[in-house]
Amino acid sequence: MSLRVRLALVIGFFLFYSTASAQMGDEVRNIFFDTISGEYQATPIGVDDMRYIGNRYITHDDSVLMDYATRIVRSDLDFYADFELIPIDSFYLKTYEINELTVLGWRRLGADILVRLEAEFPGDKLRVRWRLFDTVRQQQFSKGVLERTKSQWRVLGHEIANEMVHTLTGEEGIFLTKVVYCREVGGGKELFLADYDGANERQLTSTGSINISPFFSPDRDEIYFTSYMGGDPQLYRINIGNREIKKVAAYSGIVAAPAVSPDGNKIACVLTKDGNSEIYVLDLSGRIIKRLTRHRSIDTAPTWSPDGRMIAFSSDRTGSPQIYLMDSDGLNVRRLTYQGGYNDSPIWSSRGERITFVSRTKYGRFDLASIDTSGHDYRILTEVGHNENPHFSPDGKHIVFSSTRLGPKDIFTMDITGRNQRRLTRVGKCSNPNWGPIRK
Amino acid sequence: MRRLALLALIGMLAVAVMAISCGGPKEVPEEVPVETAPPVEEDTTPAEEPAPPPPAPKLQETQFQTVYFDFDKYNLRDDAKASLDHNFGLLQEFPDVIVKIEGHCDERGTVEYNLSLGEKRAKSSMDYLVSLGIDPGRISIISYGKERPVDQGHNEEAWAKNRRSEFKIISQ
Repeated sequence: MSLRVRLALVIGFFLFYSTASAQMGDEVRNIFFDTISGEYQATPIGVDDMRYIGNRYITHDDSVLMDYATRIVRSDLDFYADFELIPIDSFYLKTYEINELTVLGWRRLGADILVRLEAEFPGDKLRVRWRLFDTVRQQQFSKGVLERTKSQWRVLGHEIANEMVHTLTGEEGIFLTKVVYCREVGGGKELFLADYDGANERQLTSTGSINISPFFSPDRDEIYFTSYMGGDPQLYRINIGNREIKKVAAYSGIVAAPAVSPDGNKIACVLTKDGNSEIYVLDLSGRIIKRLTRHRSIDTAPTWSPDGRMIAFSSDRTGSPQIYLMDSDGLNVRRLTYQGGYNDSPIWSSRGERITFVSRTKYGRFDLASIDTSGHDYRILTEVGHNENPHFSPDGKHIVFSSTRLGPKDIFTMDITGRNQRRLTRVGKCSNPNWGPIRK
Repeated sequence: MRRLALLALIGMLAVAVMAISCGGPKEVPEEVPVETAPPVEEDTTPAEEPAPPPPAPKLQETQFQTVYFDFDKYNLRDDAKASLDHNFGLLQEFPDVIVKIEGHCDERGTVEYNLSLGEKRAKSSMDYLVSLGIDPGRISIISYGKERPVDQGHNEEAWAKNRRSEFKIISQ
């Protein structure tokens, strides 16, 4: 058995184990659910190989390009929570002695929806016409055209997938979003930026210091983060374009755990200037707008509700960390979690009704769990390795997190049901991810 | 490293002793009247700087004891208090020393929570020393959360070593 096959088997086993073993009936109810419409149901979708429809001789490079772009579309739709990708079945093709599938053929393979892609190469460009078919009625119901220079085949693939999502669900696709995370470099931690699928990774900071807790601004190309670059951990922001770093807030003690409000105008964060970690709201220039907590225990990890009216946070006021909710002015503090002895790192779904967090479960493992905002329906989403720092995708259907499930600590994504798990980094020593907004 | 430092110290002492033995007594001839012929060599020698006093024994960072904590806790165990009592003695013995206490955590739990927990550990160490009578102006604190483990292991033995507050000398 080649190394690659064995590796694939190992990874496959882990992914299977992490999702499937949870199904087999622990005391905790399983992970398959849809917060939008009740039961989870992914639509089976097929994507045909991209075909050249021009009338010239097609070069090898161009046919490779078509293959690459198709792979991006398939991989995006496969990952997306609402879809289940039906692969082309080569055995089926062989049995019927055919080279390609008809709409009816896709129906027989189980696809409800079929995507057909047709390529042309005007000048140095790749132009793709996409068509969507309903395989039950065997009818085309939507189409469109997109064009990019050939070198941007990756972007084009994501744009096609975004249009599929928009056409089929009415929502904005997330396939052109970015993920930021920390990686150990030398004795410090630097911020790295990558596409949502892990491609095009680049190093953002080179401060040689510890940089942690990155958080995207929802409306500017900026990332807020805590850095030790000036000695004490204080709040900074970096412009993603020119990589210019500015100090935002400096207070005695630490300035940590920044969370920018959904309207982009305020930052909830932790200050310890009072001799204890308390949650404050700052304006974008670092001035204090309001102190929200007054308790001699640890209060940290604030996260805004999507309407900006509430904040969830973690506190060890009962002796171990648990998740609490409060109004965004600090009033009406109430405890949300009672399960297990350690619940921390809450993150509010952009869909509003659920909070995902880190929960210490059996055998002292740290898993991702979620609960609805009324404190009901606690579910464990992961079952392997230590899993930390969950953050939602802007559409609230997917989660990025760090995990040690394959040994080294890497960045992973999955959908909110715990399915479609994907490894973004492969070098280890990666942590603290945050998912960027959809840019218009 | 330590051996080098020791050699350097011995070197400095030797220089100081030589300076005292050569420079010290030779200032006397300056009061001798001009008429008397002074020894030529000594007259051309420029007035020597006053000999540096022998360096006071310095406090080494390694003399401080590291203070250890239980998982997710920042209260001081008896052994932690004993370590702090030892460090208190050093701070009393060397009243010019200014320290920074670094709070650290093990790898378990999240980055943000551990940052606050590390600060609590540093703070409880500082508060204990202040309660014993150390001027709070001589102590500052910083938390590194779980960012700087001394042991990279993933077991209880490693974690126990990493849940700590460490003393660093800022000036003396």
